[in-house]
Amino acid sequence: MDMYKMAIIGSRETILGFKALGLEPVYANDSKEAVESLYRLKKEKTDGGRNKYAILFIMEDLATDIQPEDYKKLSADPLPAIIPLPSHLGSTGFGVTRLKRIVEKAVGSDILK
Amino acid sequence: MAILNVNPTRMAMLGLKKKIISAKRGHKLLKDKQDGLMQKFMEVIREARRMREDVEQKLGKAFKNFIRANALMGEAFLEGALLYSTAIMKLEVETKNVMSVRIPQFTVKSSGEVVNYGFLQTSGELDMALKSLQDVFPLLVQLAEIEKSAEALADELEKTRRRVNALEYRMIPDLQDTIKFISMKLGEMERSAITNTMRVKAQIQAKEKRRKQQTVA
Repeated sequence: MDMYKMAIIGSRETILGFKALGLEPVYANDSKEAVESLYRLKKEKTDGGRNKYAILFIMEDLATDIQPEDYKKLSADPLPAIIPLPSHLGSTGFGVTRLKRIVEKAVGSDILK
Repeated sequence: MAILNVNPTRMAMLGLKKKIISAKRGHKLLKDKQDGLMQKFMEVIREARRMREDVEQKLGKAFKNFIRANALMGEAFLEGALLYSTAIMKLEVETKNVMSVRIPQFTVKSSGEVVNYGFLQTSGELDMALKSLQDVFPLLVQLAEIEKSAEALADELEKTRRRVNALEYRMIPDLQDTIKFISMKLGEMERSAITNTMRVKAQIQAKEKRRKQQTVA
């Protein structure tokens, strides 16, 4: 069975705990750095030529400023899944907004209310 | 409303009639696919929304525990303690096919110990924080799975909807118009051929009549 890795992108203090759980920590201080690391992680392949990472968690405060074009390119393939998580500062509502965007794309209007 | 650029011949019309039949069949199939996708999508998106709320709440708690541990121990000690973690998380990924959309399914395989530090210099809060984080983690993976599925389904739904609309509002009406145009044009040609022969016949008859009158005279 194919084994994939997971990575988490965020500031140092937030991802410390996840590092302890065994995820690959990737430090980023602003969303520009975060986008760069996302592209880099997405490109990384194993010897077999498939993606190395299946899930890339990213802290919400870094994800809010990702440009739509970048996001579109990053999320185009089946793997990896890019999932925003609320940081220790609390939820910014970005995750729910993202779901709303997905619904709008699929249905044509926001029916989740 | 547009007429396709074809020659108005019987051959072209036959070809178009065949095309319209397959276009209609394709339209029906795609419409069914769209309905199926929509049904699945609604299921997934409701689940995703529920899970996201759940995760955000639980993760917030885990982070709070972590911050407490950090405050009690100081960052250097905390980081030092966590360095000894031997945990490795790996994922098994399978893909499921729903209406030609590939949906990932994740299974976590973890090995090693997270709590691998001495208890002397670390606070109990750290144990609690790590425990809560460990508890939330499977939820995070589930969330990732379901959100990615929702995303993939939404992508496919959008594409399918465009195709359905293109067939329904563009291709099929265009084909119908063109077929009508060709059949009218063919009718017109037929009538013009008939009137032409009638005119020629009348001319010939008139000539004949004149010749007869000349021979009589």
